[in-house]
Amino acid sequence: MTKEKNSVLHLGIDLGTSRSSVSASNGERHVVESYIGWPVDMVARKLVKKPVMFGHEALENRPMLDLHRPLERGLIKEGSEKDELAVRELIRHLISLTKPHDGQRVLAVVGVPAEALRVSRQHLRNAVKGVADSLMIVSEPFAVAYGMDALLHTMIIDIGAGTTDFCVMKGRYPTDDDQRTLTNAGDSVDEQLAIMIRTRIPEAQFSIHMVRGWKEKASFVGEPDGVVEVTVPVGGKPTNIDITSELRRACESLLPPIVETMLDLISRVDPEYQETVRHNIILAGGGSQIPRLPQAIEAALTDVGGGRVTPVKDPLFAGSNGSLSIALDAPESDWEKLPG
Amino acid sequence: MRIKREMLRDAVLENLATIEGILARPRQRTSKNSWLGWALLAAVALTLVGTLKPTSAGRGKPQPEEFVGAGVVPPPDGSEAYRETVPGLAAPRAIDPALFRLTVKRVVIDPGHGGSDPGAMMRGLREKEITFDIARRVAALLRAGGFDVVMTREGDETLTLQQRVHAANAASGDVFLSIHVNSIPEPMRRGVETYVLGPTSDPRVERLAGAENSGSGYSLSDFRRLLEGVYVDVRHDESRRFAQAVQGRMFAALRRINPELENRSVKKAPFVVLVGTEMPGVLTEVSCMSNEEDARLLRQSEYRQDIAEALAGGVRAYAAARGRGAAVAQGGTGGM
Repeated sequence: MTKEKNSVLHLGIDLGTSRSSVSASNGERHVVESYIGWPVDMVARKLVKKPVMFGHEALENRPMLDLHRPLERGLIKEGSEKDELAVRELIRHLISLTKPHDGQRVLAVVGVPAEALRVSRQHLRNAVKGVADSLMIVSEPFAVAYGMDALLHTMIIDIGAGTTDFCVMKGRYPTDDDQRTLTNAGDSVDEQLAIMIRTRIPEAQFSIHMVRGWKEKASFVGEPDGVVEVTVPVGGKPTNIDITSELRRACESLLPPIVETMLDLISRVDPEYQETVRHNIILAGGGSQIPRLPQAIEAALTDVGGGRVTPVKDPLFAGSNGSLSIALDAPESDWEKLPG
Repeated sequence: MRIKREMLRDAVLENLATIEGILARPRQRTSKNSWLGWALLAAVALTLVGTLKPTSAGRGKPQPEEFVGAGVVPPPDGSEAYRETVPGLAAPRAIDPALFRLTVKRVVIDPGHGGSDPGAMMRGLREKEITFDIARRVAALLRAGGFDVVMTREGDETLTLQQRVHAANAASGDVFLSIHVNSIPEPMRRGVETYVLGPTSDPRVERLAGAENSGSGYSLSDFRRLLEGVYVDVRHDESRRFAQAVQGRMFAALRRINPELENRSVKKAPFVVLVGTEMPGVLTEVSCMSNEEDARLLRQSEYRQDIAEALAGGVRAYAAARGRGAAVAQGGTGGM
C-alpha cells in the first residue's frame, strides 16, 4: 500500500499572473514569481549560463532576457507560441521543485485565473500538454473554495495581479454565470501608482518592477499608519519621495469596482441565501493582504444589511492547497481518463 | 462529500470536453425557464427581423447569433435566411452592418507599449519606439488623405490598456488600429499577422459551440446578453473585414521587399484593447523582431515607411469597401 501510494505524486498548482505556487502530497511547497526568461542572444546565454530562467532570478537578469509573464492580465495570449511555451516551462519548473522520484506518476491539478480558463481554455490545455502524467485544469477561485470547504453559499473574491476573480459557490461546480472577472487588480494598482507619481514628479526615474515592490511592501486602504517614503533617482540623484497619498489612492481604486461586482453577484443569489453569502465572503490572492481592505469591503456591505469578509490565512498557498485537495479527492478512475 | 463528488465529476467532464475539442455544455436550467427563455428569445428575434427586414434581405452570411438561436449548424454558404427554432417561430436574420451606416472617418491609432513598458527588446531595438515611429507615419498618411486621426499616445508615455481603450472610445473612433512588433521563439521565421478579438481560432470549435449552445435553455439574463451579442457580432464581422484589408495590404507590400515573408494570416486572440474598444478594431504585428533580417530592416526608415503605407492602405481599402465612408477614403493618396 505504501509502495503504491509513493508511486503517485499528487500536485496542486496555482498558476498566477504574478506568482505561482505548488503544493505536493510529499509535503513540498514552493512559490515562484511567474516570470520566464530566455537569453536574448548568444552573449546573454554565455553570461547567464542557463537556457531558461525562472522567477526572481529571471527578473534580476531581465536586461539579458526575453522576459515573459505568460498570464499577463489574466489571459494567455492566444496564438503566441512563446507564451504557451512559457506556461509549459513554468509548470515543468514547479513540478521539478517538488522532486518527484524516477518512475513516480505525477497527477496535477492546475488552477488558473477564471478569465484565462473561460477565454483560453483550449490554448491552456495545449500549453500544458505533456507536463504531467495526468492533468486537470480548474478555475482558481473554485480551487480556493474547494480547499477551504467553502462550497455552499459562499463568495470567493480572488484579487490577483492580472485579474480579480469572483465566484459564488452554490453547492455545484461553478458555471460562467456564477463567476465574474475584473481587470482591476494588482497590476492596475501598480500602473495607477506609477502614473500618479510620474505626474507629480516627472523627472523621477523608476520602473514598474520598483513600483510593484513598493506596493507589496506598504499597500493600504483607509488612514495610513505612517508616511510611505521611497528612494528613487531624480535627475540622477537618489531622492526620498513621499508616496503615501498616491499609494492610498491607487489601492483604493480597487474598491468601487470590487464592491459593485460583489453586490451585483449577491443580488443574483436566491433571496433566502443572500444574507448567508454576505456573511461568507472570502478574500484570496495577493490583494487580500492589503491592510484594512476586508474592513473597507464590509463597510460597503452595511448598506445592504451587513456582512463579513475574511481574508485567507495562507494567501500564497490557498490556491495550490485547494488544487492539491482536488487532486487527492479525484478518484483514480477520473485520473485515468485525463491525459497529461 | 456528495457535493464534492459532484463538483469533481463536473470538473473532470469540463476538462474532457476541452480535450475533445468541444465546449463544456452549460448547466441546464429548469425546463420551465428554458421554454420561457426560448419563447422570449424567439418573440424578440421576430421583432428584430421585422424591423430590419426591408434593408437586410438577402445580405450577408449567417451571424453567430443565428447559430445560437437556431440550434443547427448553418450551411457553409450561408444562403438560408431563416431557420425554424420553436415551431412557427423564426430565428433572427443576420444584421447587415450597412444598416448602422458604418462610415470610416476617424481612425484611432494605438502605438503598442511606451514609457516604462518597452515591449519586446532585442537586437538593440525597442518595440515601443518602432511602433510609435510607424504609427506617426500612418497618421500622417491618413491625415493627408482626409481622415481624422487620433493617437492613443503622442510620445513615449506609459499608458494602461484601459487608458488606451478609454482614449479610443472617448474619441468616438470609427476604427481602431493597434500596432505591434512580433517576437517569436523561432528566430528563422518572419512574417506579418493581424488579430481580431475572439476566444479561439479553431473554426471547428466555433461550429461545435454553436451546436452545443443550441441545446441549452436561456434565462432572461442570458437573453439580454444574447441581444448585446448581436451588436458585438456586427463589430466582430467588421473587425475581421478590417483585419483582412490590413493584413492583405501589409503582406503584399512587404512581400515585395522580402520574398520569403510568411503570411501568418488573420487570427483571433482575446487582447484587452480589442475587448474594450467599441469600434471595429485590429491588432497587427508588423514584423518579427526576433528575426535578424527583419530586425535589420526595421532599423531602416524606408522599411518603416513601407509598413506605414501598407497599414494606411489597409485602412483606406476598408473604408472604401464600407461604401459610405468612401467619400473620404477615395480621396486618399498612395497605397491603394
